[in-house]
Amino acid sequence: MSVLTPVRLGPAEQTLIAQLQSAGAAAQAERLSGSGLPTRRVESYHYTDLKQLLRSVPPLAGAAPGASAPALEIAGAYRLMIANGRVQDAGTAPAGVIVGRSEGSVLTMRDDVLVRLNAALAGESLSLTLEGSVDPVIQIDRRSEGEAAHSAGSVRIFVADGASATIVETYSGSDAAHVSNHASYISLGKGARLSHIAVDLSSGQATHFATHEYQLAEDAKLHTLAIHAGASLARTQIFARFAGEGSHADFSGLNLVKDGQHLDITLDVNHAVPNTTSQERFKQIARGRSRAVFQGRLVVARHAQKTDAKMMMQGLMLSDEAEILSKPELEIYADDVVCGHGSTCGQIDETSLFYLMSRGIPRAEAETMLVRAFLEELVDPIEDAELNEALTAVIDGWLLGR
Amino acid sequence: MTTPVLEIRNLHARIEEREILKGVNLVIPAGEVHAIMGRNGSGKSTLSYVLAGKEDYEVTEGEILLNGENILEMEPDERAAAGLFLAFQYPIEIPGVATMTFLKAAINAQRKARGEAELSTPDFMRAVKEAGAQLQIDSDMLKRPLNVGFSGGEKKRAEILQMALLKPSLAVLDETDSGLDIDALQVVSKGVNALRDGQRSMLVITHYQRLLNHIVPDVVHVFSDGRIVESGDKDLALQLEAKGYAGFDGEAA
Repeated sequence: MSVLTPVRLGPAEQTLIAQLQSAGAAAQAERLSGSGLPTRRVESYHYTDLKQLLRSVPPLAGAAPGASAPALEIAGAYRLMIANGRVQDAGTAPAGVIVGRSEGSVLTMRDDVLVRLNAALAGESLSLTLEGSVDPVIQIDRRSEGEAAHSAGSVRIFVADGASATIVETYSGSDAAHVSNHASYISLGKGARLSHIAVDLSSGQATHFATHEYQLAEDAKLHTLAIHAGASLARTQIFARFAGEGSHADFSGLNLVKDGQHLDITLDVNHAVPNTTSQERFKQIARGRSRAVFQGRLVVARHAQKTDAKMMMQGLMLSDEAEILSKPELEIYADDVVCGHGSTCGQIDETSLFYLMSRGIPRAEAETMLVRAFLEELVDPIEDAELNEALTAVIDGWLLGR
Repeated sequence: MTTPVLEIRNLHARIEEREILKGVNLVIPAGEVHAIMGRNGSGKSTLSYVLAGKEDYEVTEGEILLNGENILEMEPDERAAAGLFLAFQYPIEIPGVATMTFLKAAINAQRKARGEAELSTPDFMRAVKEAGAQLQIDSDMLKRPLNVGFSGGEKKRAEILQMALLKPSLAVLDETDSGLDIDALQVVSKGVNALRDGQRSMLVITHYQRLLNHIVPDVVHVFSDGRIVESGDKDLALQLEAKGYAGFDGEAA
């Protein structure tokens, strides 16, 4: 096939091009016309062929007509809302939280189609500046409401030098075939500490895209957890850059995949300076006829000596028709580093199951115990008791098929 | 005549294509402790797994009656609720499952299966504390994940603790002495003996006579090539120790 052959565009691409044009993003419209959505030939979309998977795109979202019930209630949290891409008015902010708005999107111009679409279509961003020790959990409740719609929302968070906070983003909305594209740009100042948790609870027809960008200054400490527990098609992209020495991050994620779903977590971590450390821990559980994808790439720059990074992916198959795909990559240009990765995939251990059952615990309950045990290390580090409980309830809800 | 706690009739079982149990017959009346001795590979552990209902084994012939009820069609959890307990030779480590959570789930699952009310948390805590004290199990051990990082002796003591809490009518102890030093063996044996109450029956599987000095059996059976070849009182164990198994398995050297 000649490189000059024009790409055949499907209905989803045609809609996206028209939407980009209507938003005044002519250059992006032109680019999408030329390349189309990424296919499996594009390495970073190898397991999530958007051209195949995204069959149609609904009209651009108007203002939300009203809000459905919150998908996740976290007792004591300070809640901010973005509905259909629009920042909603918020209540009085707690001490150390400065809430603002700005025009446009916030992501860096990474060469990625979801990033470009968000940049072109997000009208405004919620900005948060966090100072000192922020006490309540901050929940950013991101909604896609009303009839099926395509929306783009954006958040910028700056955790000031020495500040500490816990932020939970939840994604949910009405039961419709929404396509939602969420961006979060998060910068940690010197010595800042942040726990950032993102939980997708979109309706079963929805398509969920989220991009999280992180930048860490000296001695910053970051903990992240991305949970996919909704949507028909979901992809969360995590792009992180260690920009200051002594910084550390624990990245974690969980794909809870059931029949008919395709859920993808893609991670790209750049250790750009010396003396930084990271731990990546991702788990996937799949049942029914479904597909779970994890791609993890660690890049260590040439001068980033003494980098210590360990990536682990574990998959648990609960059906023979489920697919769990995992692609760890290390790209190391420095010579004095400790980096490793591992990937395992299996079924529930029959010996453990027999042991539990031999004590009188019925099969279904024993299986649930073992799956909870498998997930324990993801939820365990979350210190806030209310939040820990809320996330455990999300996982239990999935396990018990609610 | 009262119904025996366990009655095994002409039991044949195989794993894949290999027949391992070749016609086991055994009756254990209420309150009796029977020992099964046999060399490695004779099928002793297979018998314990078949009793507990491990899936890997296929029963091709025969019956197992627990308190008069055929348990062969039952799942392992149903057999447990019906009164069977297997103390594993190698208890399984299950990271992520707290020991206390597991104990409570097991007790309440069995109570539920029998139509009894769940044990309240204070009652449960009290029961664990009492049973644990006798087996020298402290609360630190119970805070750890199930069997994870337990020494060989701790694992066996934890098995007996489970048995004490679950109160089975038949306890099968599979090589409970393996991996125990003499002090641990005494603690475990004391724990087992405390559960002999004239009603509860036990099947003690071992290949050393040593254990039977501590848990004194009413009847000793010699197991060879998938069946019981000789039965007698506790002196049979001493004879075995003196003569070895060769004299009993019909294929003496």
